Amino acid sequence: MNGLAKLYSDLPEPLRKALVCPTFWALMAGAIGLWLLLPARHRFGKRFGGVLVALAGALFAYDLPLLGNWLDQSVYWILALITLGAAVATISSQSPVYSAIWFATSLLGTAGLFFYNGAQFLGVATIVVYAGAIVVTFLFVIMLAQPEGHSPYDRLTWGGLPKILAIVTAGMFVGIFIHLLEPLKHQTAVPLAPEAIAQAHNNLTADGGVLNQKHMATLGRHLWSEHLVSIELAGTLLLVALVGAVAMASFGRPRLGDRIEEALR
Amino acid sequence: MSEIALLYNNLAIGGALFALGLIGFLVRRNMIVMFLSAEMMLQGISINLIGWGRYHGSSGLPGAWGGQMLVIFIITIAACEAGIAMVLVLMLARKSGKLDSAAWQDLREEGVPAFVDHQVPEERTEDHVWPHLTPAGIEPPRDPETVIHRPRV
Repeated sequence: MNGLAKLYSDLPEPLRKALVCPTFWALMAGAIGLWLLLPARHRFGKRFGGVLVALAGALFAYDLPLLGNWLDQSVYWILALITLGAAVATISSQSPVYSAIWFATSLLGTAGLFFYNGAQFLGVATIVVYAGAIVVTFLFVIMLAQPEGHSPYDRLTWGGLPKILAIVTAGMFVGIFIHLLEPLKHQTAVPLAPEAIAQAHNNLTADGGVLNQKHMATLGRHLWSEHLVSIELAGTLLLVALVGAVAMASFGRPRLGDRIEEALR
Repeated sequence: MSEIALLYNNLAIGGALFALGLIGFLVRRNMIVMFLSAEMMLQGISINLIGWGRYHGSSGLPGAWGGQMLVIFIITIAACEAGIAMVLVLMLARKSGKLDSAAWQDLREEGVPAFVDHQVPEERTEDHVWPHLTPAGIEPPRDPETVIHRPRV
């Protein structure tokens, strides 16, 4: 025990801080769990991987600062759980059909987070555009291109090492990101005065605020005044993409008029 | 409710979602799942932007709507991307007969060794699972002689 304590005190400062940080252990457990969960040649360890990922989620949530109100907190955690849990299921289910359905579930969680943060229009737009249109198109393409539904080659991925490297890269990304957020976390440790909370609420619900009842009117005014050129550009881009998609889909085939002439001849 | 804590939570959740999408994009080989992962990365970014917008709104700073505007444009770009990507995937799948992105490794750089699958795992019958859909409405009476034979799909 003494030897362990000495070893611990001999470690450099950043490493000592990492060893007592729950997020560090959450990333470790999450990386190993994801490595086990992702499609692989062998099928062992899926359940253990799931347990590890759940443990990682719990540790990750434990390290997040509390929102101050148990109702807000539980709603936020449920939405975050839906989003991240469905995201894990998306990348780890072997059949692309299941992946697409899990992705739609993840989008519902994201839309809930949008609602939670006072972006009503975007929450609805996410459900309509993503879950309603994009995921259905994805499913459509799966049915057209791969009727047997599942993909055995996905279990090989690109070999063993690239899989580990990908997970390590993503884990490092989250680790560095959370580390950079440390000053923000120090600010959350200070308990807030009731006046500050009331002031924040006033700012949000005031005229022009995000949580004001005239949400859509304000959003539209911003969109069509400050961002008028951008929105026209975005519309043009949609048109160009539409024309491009149709052109690519019909590339190399005889045109309709030629086909009719051919049939009549 | 503590607004800084909410911002921190949003940033952490968005970052985690981005990282999961990154893993999916790098690890999976099915082109559809790769694009789903790319969309998931965009969702992570959107959560971050919305979180920042909320925070700026709560502290009375101008630019509270900037985050939501950016997310509107993200959704637009994602829709364009999905349309083009679907056409490309469909054309590629029609040419090669599968959705495997390794089927297109002829496009690799000169001198890079080819990626060869070793020991393709055999498919077991219990892997052939499809989602169970709840029946909607009443099934109409069917004449067995007029049923169209569909070997695939």
